[in-house]
Amino acid sequence: MSALLRHQVLTVLVFLPAAGAVLLLLFPRRAAAAAKFFALGVSIVNAAISLPLWWNFDTALRGFQFRETHPWIPALGITYAVGIDGISLVLVLLTTILTPVSLLFSLTHVEKQAKGFSIAFLILETGMIGSLVSLDLALFYFLWEVMLVPMYFIIGIWGGARRIYAAMKFFLFTMAGSLLMFLAILYLAIRHAAATGTWSFALEDLGRLSFTGPVQTLLFLAFALAFAVKVPVFPLHTWLPDAHTEAPTAGSIILAGVMLKLGVYGYLRFALPLFPDAAMRFAPWLGALGVIGVIYGAIVAYAQKDMKRLVAYSSVSHLGLVVIGIGAFTTISLQGSILQMVNHGLSTGALFLLVGVLYERRHTREIAAYGGIAGIVPVTTALFLVATFSSIGLPGLNGFVGEFLILLGTWTSAHRIWAVLAATGVILSAVYMLTLVQRVFWNPVTHDENRKLTDIRPSELVAAAVLVVLMVWIGVRPNEVLDRLRASVESLQETVAARSIAGRLP
Amino acid sequence: MSGGGFITFSPADLAAAAPEIVLALAGCFILLLEAFLPSARRWFATFALLAVAGSLYFLARVPAGAAFGGRLDSSPLTLLSGLFLGGSAALAILVAKPYLERTGEEKGEFYALLLWGHLGVSLMTRGLDLLIVFIGLETLSLAFYVLAAIFRTIPASSEAGLKYFLTGSFGSAFTLYGIVLLFGAAGTSRIEALSRPGLAGLPTVVFGLLLLLVGFGFKMSLAPFHAWAPDVYQGMPTPAVAYLSVAPKGASVIVLYRVFAAVFSDGMPDRFRAGLVALAILSMTLGNVVALAQRDIKRLLAYSGIAHMGYVTIALAVFGRDALAAVLVYFFAYLVSNTGAFAAVSALYRDETKPHPVALLAGEGLRSPFASAVLALCLFSLAGIPATAGFIGKFFLFKAALSKGFVALAVIGVLNSLVSIGYYLKVVYVLYMRDAVEPEGPPPLTPADRLALGLCAVGIFALGIFPAGLWQLAQRAAETLPLGGP
Repeated sequence: MSALLRHQVLTVLVFLPAAGAVLLLLFPRRAAAAAKFFALGVSIVNAAISLPLWWNFDTALRGFQFRETHPWIPALGITYAVGIDGISLVLVLLTTILTPVSLLFSLTHVEKQAKGFSIAFLILETGMIGSLVSLDLALFYFLWEVMLVPMYFIIGIWGGARRIYAAMKFFLFTMAGSLLMFLAILYLAIRHAAATGTWSFALEDLGRLSFTGPVQTLLFLAFALAFAVKVPVFPLHTWLPDAHTEAPTAGSIILAGVMLKLGVYGYLRFALPLFPDAAMRFAPWLGALGVIGVIYGAIVAYAQKDMKRLVAYSSVSHLGLVVIGIGAFTTISLQGSILQMVNHGLSTGALFLLVGVLYERRHTREIAAYGGIAGIVPVTTALFLVATFSSIGLPGLNGFVGEFLILLGTWTSAHRIWAVLAATGVILSAVYMLTLVQRVFWNPVTHDENRKLTDIRPSELVAAAVLVVLMVWIGVRPNEVLDRLRASVESLQETVAARSIAGRLP
Repeated sequence: MSGGGFITFSPADLAAAAPEIVLALAGCFILLLEAFLPSARRWFATFALLAVAGSLYFLARVPAGAAFGGRLDSSPLTLLSGLFLGGSAALAILVAKPYLERTGEEKGEFYALLLWGHLGVSLMTRGLDLLIVFIGLETLSLAFYVLAAIFRTIPASSEAGLKYFLTGSFGSAFTLYGIVLLFGAAGTSRIEALSRPGLAGLPTVVFGLLLLLVGFGFKMSLAPFHAWAPDVYQGMPTPAVAYLSVAPKGASVIVLYRVFAAVFSDGMPDRFRAGLVALAILSMTLGNVVALAQRDIKRLLAYSGIAHMGYVTIALAVFGRDALAAVLVYFFAYLVSNTGAFAAVSALYRDETKPHPVALLAGEGLRSPFASAVLALCLFSLAGIPATAGFIGKFFLFKAALSKGFVALAVIGVLNSLVSIGYYLKVVYVLYMRDAVEPEGPPPLTPADRLALGLCAVGIFALGIFPAGLWQLAQRAAETLPLGGP
């Protein structure tokens, strides 16, 4: 990697998609195919630029790498500051890989307003990567909210029958969560200015502040609420089944694959180090809500008649497990949680993609409308099985490693009971996913329409194959990921431990 | 008057008043052309734009200081507010040109009245004497009473004119009574004289200030003095609304800030502040909640404006240099977003004799992509979504409020913006997610439409992404007033 690219690579990753979106504005509306290919091309280039990060990332270093800082609003000390540690690294790569996968799938499946769709998707990528690399809270909030608008349009224009309701609910829930965080960020900066006489919104500067009792609790809750809505933590999850079900396939992949992770990421990056006391005090609550999410999500998923809704509820369950790992706060459980976020992005992304494959052919997501199609669409079936096994944590695939680490790490923490309860969720996930496979792919063929189903197309196959390859790779060599997480996770734990004891600035 | 006797003019005084003189003469010029050379009509908009630009040019050249014996201000504050008002007038003229052509009303009166109204608003922001401010206010009002009713054949327009006239005169009367009381207490109508120690506590002064607040509250369409706005906006020609809903509101806030800065030089009394806080909360909440129920886009924008004046009143209640700078930035954001929204409304509706239901916009996102995209952008900006100017306005405003410890007010403010998303998104939904109901789309955009819409869109992004420059200007402008600390 050239020296120039090394220092600006994150900026390129953030703004290349946005620049692509601006160029897309110039495309004539009729050139639908050209717009889709162009957006795909931009996202592939972005993925190609992001890959070297994986090898050039120094696993021994703590703190942020590939940093870049420029003044933005000097009067308030707001900077354009970006950088990544291991946690953001894996999520950035997840984003740069899932975006082209989604766009590749959409090549053949988005017909109306393809240009608008491509623009929205690229802006979304800018928002997602930007939120993951921001080290300035003002910049973070800015990009965090930027994500909402394109996703609102993606659900609302290209979504299913109840898309309007779902899009509105998605927007209002997420916005409601983050508005109080906005005030909390302002409050932090004001306190920093009062304490030091200089304005700053930089994470490192604001992290030096310490707050007493109720103030810290309120600030923590303002941040935690924003992130909990996004994850979503039970009982704030009700927007998720609607949004994920009604979104077009590509939107569901990104929603489940990346946007949910941003909630957990935000919690790890901001809420924990900024408000360590409150975070530790609320950790039992967080873990308990995680346990409820795991079991509740699994039970509700089992009751679904709609394939997409089932996968959506499975996300509530899986993210519950991730939240448990965060609540337990051991090195192993944290690593497991972060790895599991990637795993969930891959497996759920693949499941949504394959459900999309079936939907595009039969135009129904009803489980009962299928049955016995394994012999008719063998390749789709095989891929779906791999994704299912990944999702339920079969050894050899990625899901197993993540779940195992979370459970192991939680077992060694003070909250053994969580591990016990969460383990039931792992079993339940096998129950609902295998039942789904049984009812959709095995069983006798009951609908004649299904006999004429065509198997997966090359473009869809490539998209799915990318995900399957990654599932196997992580399943076989999880240390590739875990190595990159270790230093960052340990540093996070140390920061929290150090800050929750000693107060720094008044 | 303070000095007694007659005011004598010097050439320097006239030079200081040049920005207003240009506007007055340009209005007369256009009116005379209308009478004697009607074939020049297609150039009227250009002349009017030139007049606005010329007025700004002279404003920028006036050396800082007070003219007319300390009655007419020239300072960074008047320059920045002049920029804001000039921007509003220029955009309104750009919107007016195609609108008047479409409706067959392209006559000189419209531009002349707009320029004179603009003159009045400009005087309001520059007046250091309450009488100058009042003259400005009345000039604005008279011009816009007529503008509201300019479509004589459309009943809604006549109704708007009458309503605006009745409520407006009511408001002006309040203002005048307020000025009289302040005059009685201070012995002069000069704003500066109100800073005399001991005045702030006098019942006469407090009562005078309240009356002034009511009077300018009318002009700002601040709840509970807002009732005229939805009806008037609905019937008034859209380009005139684009101006009326932005410039006079900003000017009113600047006047109030000037007066408060003088009277409360030792800080604002808590009770007065509590009243302002109550007004802010009432206006935000009422505007946003009632807007949810609106089916007509102009009424919706009227209620949205009422809500925005609630946010602006937060800056009055917070009271300080930072709050003034924040409200100046807020008004620039409001200028590009709100004017852009009205410009799009003007371009997207075909028939001006009928109301403007939101439902008629169905499917326009595809049929009129540019105007629809700008309308959506403006609405997102009004809602305060990042990367738009509206977010920056709220950012500085809430920062100012939190800095002074107004936590509850800030929380109510952001919760209100959540409510507002409900109705802004409803319009976006109709634009992009519903199929067209009208067989025929709106008329094609003219270059003037495109320019107005494009300028607003560029302004929204420019301010939304690079606000540092404007914030610096606003801070310098805010230092003009004797506000003590930040």
